[in-house]
Amino acid sequence: MTKRILLVEDEKPLCLLYEEELRGEGYEITAVTDAEAALAALREGSFDLIVTDIRMPGKNGIELITEIMGLRKDIPIIINSAYQSYKEDFMTWAADAYVVKSASLEELKARIKQLLGE
Amino acid sequence: MIETYNILSPSFEREAPRELMLLSIISQSFFQPFSLEDNLLVVLTALTSGSGVGFNRAMLFLKSDDRLRGEMWLGPRSAEEAGLIWEVLSTPGIGYVEILEHNRALVNKNADTLSARLRGLVYPANDPKALIPASVAGRKEILHVREAAQEPRVDRRFLNIIGVDEFLCVPLVAGDDVVGEIILDNAITRTPISPSDIKLAGICGLMAGNYIHSTTLHRRLLNMEKMAAMGEMAMFVTHQLRNPIVAIGGFTDQLLKPDLPEEKRVRNLNIIRDEIRRLEVIIYQMGHFLKVSLKEPVFFDPAPAIAEVLDSPQVQSRAKAYTLDAKVDACPPKILCDPTSFGEVLRNLIDNAFDATPPGGTISVRTYRRSPTAFALSVRDTGRGLTNPAKAHLFQPFFTTKDKGMGLGLPFIKRVMDTCGGSVEVLSRVGRGSVFKLQFISQERESTS
Repeated sequence: MTKRILLVEDEKPLCLLYEEELRGEGYEITAVTDAEAALAALREGSFDLIVTDIRMPGKNGIELITEIMGLRKDIPIIINSAYQSYKEDFMTWAADAYVVKSASLEELKARIKQLLGE
Repeated sequence: MIETYNILSPSFEREAPRELMLLSIISQSFFQPFSLEDNLLVVLTALTSGSGVGFNRAMLFLKSDDRLRGEMWLGPRSAEEAGLIWEVLSTPGIGYVEILEHNRALVNKNADTLSARLRGLVYPANDPKALIPASVAGRKEILHVREAAQEPRVDRRFLNIIGVDEFLCVPLVAGDDVVGEIILDNAITRTPISPSDIKLAGICGLMAGNYIHSTTLHRRLLNMEKMAAMGEMAMFVTHQLRNPIVAIGGFTDQLLKPDLPEEKRVRNLNIIRDEIRRLEVIIYQMGHFLKVSLKEPVFFDPAPAIAEVLDSPQVQSRAKAYTLDAKVDACPPKILCDPTSFGEVLRNLIDNAFDATPPGGTISVRTYRRSPTAFALSVRDTGRGLTNPAKAHLFQPFFTTKDKGMGLGLPFIKRVMDTCGGSVEVLSRVGRGSVFKLQFISQERESTS
């Protein structure tokens, strides 16, 4: 069965890039650009994994994760951020992996595969 | 009747008790914008300023990174030089500033001799088996050493350099710590060191120790603030640069794949071009903000500069979606500012007003004469307004309420206004809009009649 990924990224070009690339890997992607839209998508549908940015207008990625925990606790979450220095903190934020944004999407793809048990 | 006196008096009473004279010299010098090194030189100066009273020579050791290092040695090298120095120091009307100048020249002159020899002396600061002078750094006691050649507790290397049999070691105490040490001797006059000399040196040690301690703390604090600001900036810049770079890299990778439809190829190239433009803007803003110094402010007529900004294509094209209401004094007084920076400040404020206001809103630009020497300019918007926490951080670099802002516009404006002796203030209400007021020092135009 096709795995469903919820992608939260406020930068439109990046959102488009991740959406296309992950779709190319055979996933079904729901791409949103802010935390509120992500929570709405989570209430409506089910997902196998969430990829989220941290710094976003409105609610940031950390606040989003906290709310997601209140909704459904068993979805693996990957933080995909431009901030290298937060990498040590991701465990305390209850995320399952932290990927520093890079022009090569290989690490992100590898982490997704690992967390989806592929 | 009330009389006022300046807290600083550059000359001092030569007849005053020497404790008082010494306190006067040192405390007044600590008030001056002198460097740490200069003020330490003042301490040594105070201890050596006179043939009959002070010591002949003073040597300074400072503690840093658990080491005690020789730093400075003040005093004449010979009896002839001593005579010359003491003649200068006893010139009527001479104050501590002149003495300091004189001694700075003397230290420089002796840099290759006395001080250079001293700088070779480095001791571990906390060695329990340390010999004199290093042992003084571990205790808070003054040591008066006589017949040094017979004293096994004196370091021989030190003794060879100092070349005297009697000297005084004064620890520089600050709180629980010893921050350095002063060695005093009478190498030229060979006068024995008296109990009152020791008392005097003790006062100096206490004052110098506390001064070094507070100056070092202050330096460390400034450094920490600088480092924290640099760290914050590095983090912010990394984030700002990484997003466009990732987009450029990712879409370029797609372009390199075979069989990419033409439509997607064009789209990717457009995205790449836009992201490169964004990088250019970021780099321009960074460079603009980091410009080390602004130009000197001058008095100039602001009217043409205001008109140039308001009529510029950038402002006019954005204004189409808004009401731009400008009521500007046609013949304003001359204001004090750098004209180029003034234009950038106004452009920044108008850009911010557009960014904060939904289309259909009003941006008003006004000028006022507040007094014959004060001219004000305001930019008001009917936008979303600022919360109190946002207002508090508005002028801090890298703070932004915009999704894609760098947070460098308002800190730049603040810098420009500070440089020209003006001010910037903001009034804002959430949901109602904001008004930014700039106030400049102004000067009425010369009459043309």
